[in-house]
Amino acid sequence: MPEAVSLLYQFGTNAAFLLLSALGLIVILGMMNIINLAHGEFMMLGAYAATASVQRGVPFPLAVLIAAVAVGLFGVVIERLIVRRFYGRELGALVVTWGISLILGQGALLLFGPFMPPIAIPGGAVALGDYSFSVYWLFLIVLCGVLLAALAFVYRATRFGLQARAAMQNARMARALGIRVDRIYMATFALGAALAGLSGALLAPTTSIAPFMGQQFVAPAFITVVVGGGASVIGGALGSSGLLSLVQTPVAFLFGTFSGTLALLLTALVVIRLLPGGVSSIGRYFTRRSLAAAR
Amino acid sequence: MSDGDALLRAEGLCKRFGGVVAAQSIDFALRRGELRCVIGPNGAGKSTFFSLLCGIQRPDAGRIVFDGRDITRLKPFQRVRLGIGLTFQTNRAFHAMTVAENLETARRGGAAGDDVHFQTALASFGLAAQLERPASALPHHELQWLEICMALRRGPLLLLLDEPTAGMSPAETARTAEVLTALAADGLAIAVVEHDIAFVRQVAQTVTVLHQGAVFAEGSFAEVTARDDVRRIYLGHVHEAAA
Amino acid sequence: MSVAAASRAAPRGSGLARLLNGPHDIGRTPGAWAVLAAGLASFLVYPHWATAFQATNVAYYLLNIPMALGLSLLWGYGGVLSFGQVAFFAVAGYVYGIVAGNLPDAPWGTWLGVVSGLGASAALAAVFGYFIFYARVAAWIVPILTLVLALLLSTFLGLTAGSMWTVGQVPLGGYNGMTGIPALQVGTLTFQDYAFYYLTVGVVVLCYIGLRAWVNAHRGQVLMAIREDTLRTELLGYDVRREQLRAFVLAATLAGVSGLLYVQWGNYITPSVTGLQQAALPVVWVAVGGRDSLLAVAICTFLLNQLSYVLSSAGNQYALVIIGALLVAVMMFAPEGIVVTLARRTWRRRR
Repeated sequence: MPEAVSLLYQFGTNAAFLLLSALGLIVILGMMNIINLAHGEFMMLGAYAATASVQRGVPFPLAVLIAAVAVGLFGVVIERLIVRRFYGRELGALVVTWGISLILGQGALLLFGPFMPPIAIPGGAVALGDYSFSVYWLFLIVLCGVLLAALAFVYRATRFGLQARAAMQNARMARALGIRVDRIYMATFALGAALAGLSGALLAPTTSIAPFMGQQFVAPAFITVVVGGGASVIGGALGSSGLLSLVQTPVAFLFGTFSGTLALLLTALVVIRLLPGGVSSIGRYFTRRSLAAAR
Repeated sequence: MSDGDALLRAEGLCKRFGGVVAAQSIDFALRRGELRCVIGPNGAGKSTFFSLLCGIQRPDAGRIVFDGRDITRLKPFQRVRLGIGLTFQTNRAFHAMTVAENLETARRGGAAGDDVHFQTALASFGLAAQLERPASALPHHELQWLEICMALRRGPLLLLLDEPTAGMSPAETARTAEVLTALAADGLAIAVVEHDIAFVRQVAQTVTVLHQGAVFAEGSFAEVTARDDVRRIYLGHVHEAAA
Repeated sequence: MSVAAASRAAPRGSGLARLLNGPHDIGRTPGAWAVLAAGLASFLVYPHWATAFQATNVAYYLLNIPMALGLSLLWGYGGVLSFGQVAFFAVAGYVYGIVAGNLPDAPWGTWLGVVSGLGASAALAAVFGYFIFYARVAAWIVPILTLVLALLLSTFLGLTAGSMWTVGQVPLGGYNGMTGIPALQVGTLTFQDYAFYYLTVGVVVLCYIGLRAWVNAHRGQVLMAIREDTLRTELLGYDVRREQLRAFVLAATLAGVSGLLYVQWGNYITPSVTGLQQAALPVVWVAVGGRDSLLAVAICTFLLNQLSYVLSSAGNQYALVIIGALLVAVMMFAPEGIVVTLARRTWRRRR
């Protein structure tokens, strides 16, 4: 019994890590068809902002919020100055955001030095049999659910969500209807950046904080996005992180961390071979069917 | 018409997109040397039918036989290599290349057949004198003609055209009709999905009318257009559009 | 008659000369060819005035050109972007090191290393590319997955410390990399110093000429046709997946060529050659030069490698910031590439 719980816990933490790593990326891709290669560096900035706040005596939860807001604002600046010139040129956007990531990584090293003091993991642990579980990770798993629900609410029930979905499906039509697509894109990019900052801050206590820490998120985040596909933000994020964790958890348990990550890449190759649109394309297929049936 | 000697035969083609039925059981047969127009109001399933024939879409049910071979599961490029040449509604010649480079790219797409139809078309459309021009310098109607020549380059047995005269002036449309009629008289099978009734009147030996994803009527232009039900679904629609 | 006319449409002349002077690269005027010839001549006579150390340095600036040309072919001509060319660079270097290092006494040991190194790069690209191109994925997935490939390879190579990762008598060396890789040999000639310099110049010139002919030949045209309109090309009877995979494997092999030259240069290789920062560099060289011109990419790769070398040997911490800023600036203000923009302005010639 405790073994089963332990395995479930491992599965949950892996899925939560993948989901948090990829969430901001998926939001930007799904809504704007732009891949933000500086995503890992945005997460790094979030971790730095949270750490700097904690050092100045700010309580950790507040520090996380500060990080999200700060990186979100930074995202607005980047979007206005650079990214908005690359709408509709997906490869150009990839390359230019890579340039940004190089500047941010090295820039953080120059500005803040190679070391940042770590943040202690809040919350301690609970024990079950011989196993102990980190309360913080349990909290993160729950928080992932809350974040997805909040995103679903934003997209389904708010004016912004409606306009964003309209802009995603047909930008020209949305423009003709008087939606300020430009603003929607800016807000979406800011939301994606804020989520990256939030994730970076939330994961900061679990990892060492360094200028090039963003790199460790690149492989898991991008594989999660590829497997998820761009068709549906929430379905893609949830399906992809769940599926990948299902593969990664046993492989990493038996053969070590690297094999776990390699298994992620192999899973991604197999998934795109079978479903070029990612797992979210299944969801979209069913949604369309049910919509059509309801008509 | 007997289906035994059909070059292209489609049987019971069905295609759904989600819950939308774009094609429900289309039966279609085309003989060698026949020039057929496929018409129908917007949403009748013409584009779906075209993309099923060239392999961009796979049918949910039914099969397609071309030149005695079942091609239902073949990919588009494999169908082209078996001898189907096709053009799109929109200009899709390679604008960065010259006319000759476009034709050369078309020639080397696979094994070549007899290019007599290509030579006829190249001469009749007056493109032989413009080989060195970049495709981007050609006017719209000549780009359409270039695409027809590209489709004919390797000597296909069947030419599939999707609205070849879209955007052409009446004179250009008439010229297109004239050349296609001559090609069919030389033995080439041609199927044209078309909107333009003037063009259809000029070229068609037989007309197939699609409606709601199925064959609604088939016969000579005069026969089909004389039918009240056809006028109601299709020609009535044209009047509305013209009004 | 018009068939003959149709095939006559390609530039006049015959064979290689006709292909080299085809429309798909900058520098087609007699003047441009003269400049190119003069440039090549100065590379050939340069060692006369240079020390072996200087010549080896210049060879170092040149040795990445094959990898950059391969990326130019793939991205600029084929519209397929890869962020993972360094993975194929590393695979060729490591496999060469393993094979050549295990055959120190065989006269053909190093050459078997070359063949297996290039073969390994091509094979990895073929398998990986099969999954990507035959799935017909969206354009953004190729760069992402190739980047992940490069990063995982780097991580894996970093884990190969210790005796369990010794292949034959060659330790992979983990984070510190593989050292003591033997240099190419023919008889008594070892390709070091001046010989290495001439080897590099020769390989680079061959790669450039070969690719320039290739992009102007039929296969290259098909690749450009796919970039312009994938569906149209398929409906002319081309198997698009196969054409893209072919270009991907060719580009990976060229990256392997650079990897082989690299291990000749330093006789060592470390996992960092396929790390995130190195992975960015080929993209920078190609984007800054002008991705749809092989010549511009070659020139820019040479200059930027020199710049990075100068910056990093001066201990300049801003190297990566400068490279990143250059990339952002070029993508924003000269998306055709700096060298291409300058060249077109100079020659005032439309393609």
